[in-house]
Amino acid sequence: MSYLIASSLDEVLTSLRDGSGKARVVAGGTDLYLQDLPYGLVDLSCLKGTTVIEQEDDLISLGSAVTHTAAASSPLVLSRARALAEGCEVIGSPQIRNIGTIGGNVVNAAPAADAAVALVGLGAEAVIIDIEGNIRQEAVENLYWEYNRSLIDSTREVMISLQFKPCMDGEGSAFTRFAARRALALPMVNAAARVKLENGLVKEIRLVAAPVNPAPTRLVKTEELVIGKPVNDQTISMVERSAAEEVEVRGSLLRCSARYRLHLVGVLVSRALKTAAERAMGQGKAGE
Amino acid sequence: MNNLKKQVLIFQLNGEPVEIFADPAESLLTVLREKLGLYGTKAGCGKGECGACTVLLDDRAVNSCLVPAGKVQGRKVETIENLSQGGKVHMIQEEFVEKGAVQCGFCSPGMVMSAYALLKENPQPNPEQVKVAISGNLCRCSGYKQIEEAILSAAERLKN
Repeated sequence: MSYLIASSLDEVLTSLRDGSGKARVVAGGTDLYLQDLPYGLVDLSCLKGTTVIEQEDDLISLGSAVTHTAAASSPLVLSRARALAEGCEVIGSPQIRNIGTIGGNVVNAAPAADAAVALVGLGAEAVIIDIEGNIRQEAVENLYWEYNRSLIDSTREVMISLQFKPCMDGEGSAFTRFAARRALALPMVNAAARVKLENGLVKEIRLVAAPVNPAPTRLVKTEELVIGKPVNDQTISMVERSAAEEVEVRGSLLRCSARYRLHLVGVLVSRALKTAAERAMGQGKAGE
Repeated sequence: MNNLKKQVLIFQLNGEPVEIFADPAESLLTVLREKLGLYGTKAGCGKGECGACTVLLDDRAVNSCLVPAGKVQGRKVETIENLSQGGKVHMIQEEFVEKGAVQCGFCSPGMVMSAYALLKENPQPNPEQVKVAISGNLCRCSGYKQIEEAILSAAERLKN
């Protein structure tokens, strides 16, 4: 394994081209570095542009090498994309969060990666450039090929940034998870919600649960049920039932039984919606 | 190790500039222990789970077993060796001794570095923040209570 710390995006793309399929991109490396790879690794985490968090026009943009710590403590993310801050602050441990990146969390393609689930909840899109210089944009949930395998080919494609619309007035987002321990533990289930209220009724909604499929999965049937309704106790109970009915899950020795996971999907999705709606109504904004 | 892969790495280590010839794919942990002879940083699980290898990279705690040496180029690394100055151990270490926060001692350097990183960023942490700060450090003797007390007590001393 050779290791190059790239100093520009051009250098990343050139190295991938020269590597002809035998070099691949790495960001934080907390997952990749542990594997015995035959590859040459091209590290993009020291590029200036890839660690920036900014709002431009109507979009929040995070460089793909923004660390979990940076995302979780960014005032912009905390106020306009709370689900992402909550997803990032529970990943691994402080040491992992200080190196691991949000781009890596997506491209590593674990089915219930906390930052990725939050990003899908927010409706994020990834900006990807290939070695020929073509740029494309893709919804995060469409970047999964199979379990732990991304559609992004890291030997010829580079994720530059992740973008999504900030939660403005009347909008809120939240992330929830349950795991055996509070640190260094895979989630049994995690969930994210983003909701927009108008006159107290749900205008737009995104509900996401994982691990249900290879990709963080939107619960579209449940979302449809909620449109036009107020987020009250009745709606929350309905979401809890519907979310658990909408998904098919497997039991796993690593995480928990299928039955318990179904229960958790209902509980965590409905809790995420409740919190997101409270935030949309302006409650519990600061200091919570 | 293939010499062709090696390159010159220059970074700040414990306040001093160092220049070494190393494979950038090697872990920072290996470089610290085997090239630079700094054995205070412990090699534990090698997978970022136990925190025994915790060092500071640009003032933030990281698992040195997960950091390729190439990543530290031009940056600042601090290890447990830097905490004692002039033959006197650091105030955090004194509190670890005072509170009996050391049993077998294997996790201690990592625990102390996580505590050090916490107090650098947040000199007055509450008990919950202390727990989060050491949540990436495993103590196989399970002596967490005394460790938390030692860190809070160190924070108390910072106040005065």
